[in-house]
Amino acid sequence: MEMEISSVKMLYKHLIFCAVQRCRMADYLCRLTVKLTPVSRFGLPLVRISVSDTGVGSKLEDYQYLKYRNDPILANQWDGMLYLATTSVSDSEIHNLNLNLKESNSVGTLTKLPSTAKNGAKFSGTEVSVSISKSLDDLLAEVTCFLQKMILLKVPKVVMELLVGGDDSLGSQIGSRILVIEGSSVYSPVESIKCLKLGLKDYVRKHQTRFSVGENLKVGTGVANSSGSSQGNSQVVEAVVIISEMSELVPSSCIREQDMKTEVLYFEDFVSCSIAQSSLDALTNINWKSYGLALRSIANHDGSVMLEWENLLPDFHIHIAIHCYHRQVKQWVAENSLPDRNLVRKAVKCALDDLKENNQGVLLSRRALKMCDYAPDLAKTLAQLILSSNDLNFQEECCSLLGVQSQEVNMDNVGNCIREKIISVIGLNDRNSQKNKEAPTFLFEDDCFQKEHFMEEEYHEGEEAYNFLDL
Amino acid sequence: MEGKRLNTQPLALIRKIKGFTRSIVEDLARGNAPLIYIDRFRNYCTGTSGNCSCSSGLPTGKEAISLKRECHVRRLDILLRVLLIVQQLLQENRHGSKRDIYYMHPTVFKEQSVVDRAINDICILLQCSRHNLNVVSVGNGLVMGWLRYVESGRKIDCISNPNTAYPIPVHVEEVNDILSVAQYVLVVEKESVFQRLANDQFCKRNHCIVITGRGYPDVPTRRFLRLLIDKLHLPVYCLVDCDPYGFDILTTYKFGSLQMAYDATFLQVSEIQWLGVFVQDSDNYSIPQQCLLPLTVEDKRKVEAMLHRCYLQREVPKW
Repeated sequence: MEMEISSVKMLYKHLIFCAVQRCRMADYLCRLTVKLTPVSRFGLPLVRISVSDTGVGSKLEDYQYLKYRNDPILANQWDGMLYLATTSVSDSEIHNLNLNLKESNSVGTLTKLPSTAKNGAKFSGTEVSVSISKSLDDLLAEVTCFLQKMILLKVPKVVMELLVGGDDSLGSQIGSRILVIEGSSVYSPVESIKCLKLGLKDYVRKHQTRFSVGENLKVGTGVANSSGSSQGNSQVVEAVVIISEMSELVPSSCIREQDMKTEVLYFEDFVSCSIAQSSLDALTNINWKSYGLALRSIANHDGSVMLEWENLLPDFHIHIAIHCYHRQVKQWVAENSLPDRNLVRKAVKCALDDLKENNQGVLLSRRALKMCDYAPDLAKTLAQLILSSNDLNFQEECCSLLGVQSQEVNMDNVGNCIREKIISVIGLNDRNSQKNKEAPTFLFEDDCFQKEHFMEEEYHEGEEAYNFLDL
Repeated sequence: MEGKRLNTQPLALIRKIKGFTRSIVEDLARGNAPLIYIDRFRNYCTGTSGNCSCSSGLPTGKEAISLKRECHVRRLDILLRVLLIVQQLLQENRHGSKRDIYYMHPTVFKEQSVVDRAINDICILLQCSRHNLNVVSVGNGLVMGWLRYVESGRKIDCISNPNTAYPIPVHVEEVNDILSVAQYVLVVEKESVFQRLANDQFCKRNHCIVITGRGYPDVPTRRFLRLLIDKLHLPVYCLVDCDPYGFDILTTYKFGSLQMAYDATFLQVSEIQWLGVFVQDSDNYSIPQQCLLPLTVEDKRKVEAMLHRCYLQREVPKW
């Protein structure tokens, strides 16, 4: 099993990934620190990235599977050296190792360094450091962006922090804290999806870059579980879909391209990462039309997925987060168990259905939307049929059926009430029709079009005066 | 008074309209989609079994209109708009024409035929005829001959000028006291034929009543003819052109039209007899060849379609 590192980003993401899993495996509260320290070597600007955690000790195998890609850009930025210090609770010392992945051996060259004594103290943890030739500002921006996505999840029992070290050659132990991410206290499936939901809501609010007068977030969540794969570890896929409809002051001519796009925030095993192909396939295979959406394209740029839509309304935005994880924590040694495509599809679909179920008039299929266009007119006519009747008892009866108080009875109120109910019924039918796709069609359903044609044909004759040869 | 359905008085219809509205409101209030059943009628089919029920006047099935299809929703929108207008006409005891109704929402209706169908649907739902809804069409028919009647209190005396055309009354339900010394009723297709008979003083020598619908007969013309036959029990003869359209006009008088199929039993005059013109007449009367026009492709297509109508096989196979 190999993993080829092709970029600095991929490298530190992987280091953080391993650290997160080690923390998850521990049954106590852990700290995970990402520290960026500027150092200078031979006059060249360097940044040391170190990822340290207080989780269970790490295994060499985590890192020996890494391969260094022969890439000029990577070569300029990283020398392929990894410094590792790790200890388990049962160890009496801290092991220090150097790993040189640039060596052309199938396994990188490992150099054991002198261990550090623990003097009887019982703790476990790992620190992995690499030196990167890039500007601190650039790296800091990248890492911050990456970790900010992690805020969506609350890793159980883990506190994450991002520090920037002091600017001296010894590498200051105390750095300025840029970011702290609190974890959740304990893992439970219910808590987990709840956290993802709250996380995405906060993320959406923070990232609304345009001035908005009113904000309306509609949320749907879905979870899909596998009962147990062949490897014996069950997978969970959580999905959250948020629709934000903002009442904008900005005129519609200012619609930006980004408005018609959705960035899918994707996580695996509690770490933000690039989307797996199976998950991408799952997204492609969802029947978006039944939710009134038309997908123009799915693009995968550098692991980040963008869904592009056709014809979204100007104030309508969709946000999606997907989290696939193994219920049983494992370090990254195991075989590549991609998330099950069907699970991902099921979870996202559940989230969309949940949204639709709990929010009237949202994500209606195209067909339902077209029918809703008639709702105001239908409602107005019905209201007029009621209120223009000579029979006051009849008016009272209808208004009371609709739940309109007698003192509030007027054309607008009654009309609005009826309109809401019509839209609600259309929405209900829309949801039910999706559920009953296999159900037999109505007896007369197909006759609708035939009858149109039939009647149209006959209507040419009949009533109208017909002068054939007007002599 | 002509043949009547039950419960078609304005009050009864207003009550039915309220009932219909209430049932929709009840459904919506309960969160159910309203489901409206409209009986389907036809007065002919093209089935070959010979066992159809087209002549019975009974519905041949039902359509279900719901909020599940866009075409249904549009149809319901139109129906309710027209129903509202009808309710107002009945409540205020006013009359309006189908065209008037169309002009109330022309951008929504888009076409007259849309309004016509809504009116038909309402007639079927309320089990009445169109005139019961206070919806009238502008009359198009003419009558002359040995006939006298009272229309809405006014005396119409065709007998005083038997070769003068009088318009056929639109409010046929207001026609009373029909008196006639005619021996038969002659129905002609064309206004030009009607005028020719008038110019030739046909009714001076022939004690008859001549009627024309000026092409395809409108509802008042058909109702009036039906009324005359019911009251006077005279033989009726029909003179139409020897072409598919003439033949179609004959079948309209005799069997009713498809679009008014729900009212066929009140509108058809099954006693009517085909007087001509027949194909063999061109020989019998030595009509020169150049006076004859060949059938066009459209004409032939129409004939083909008409020949399949079940009533031709069943009722008048000798035709």
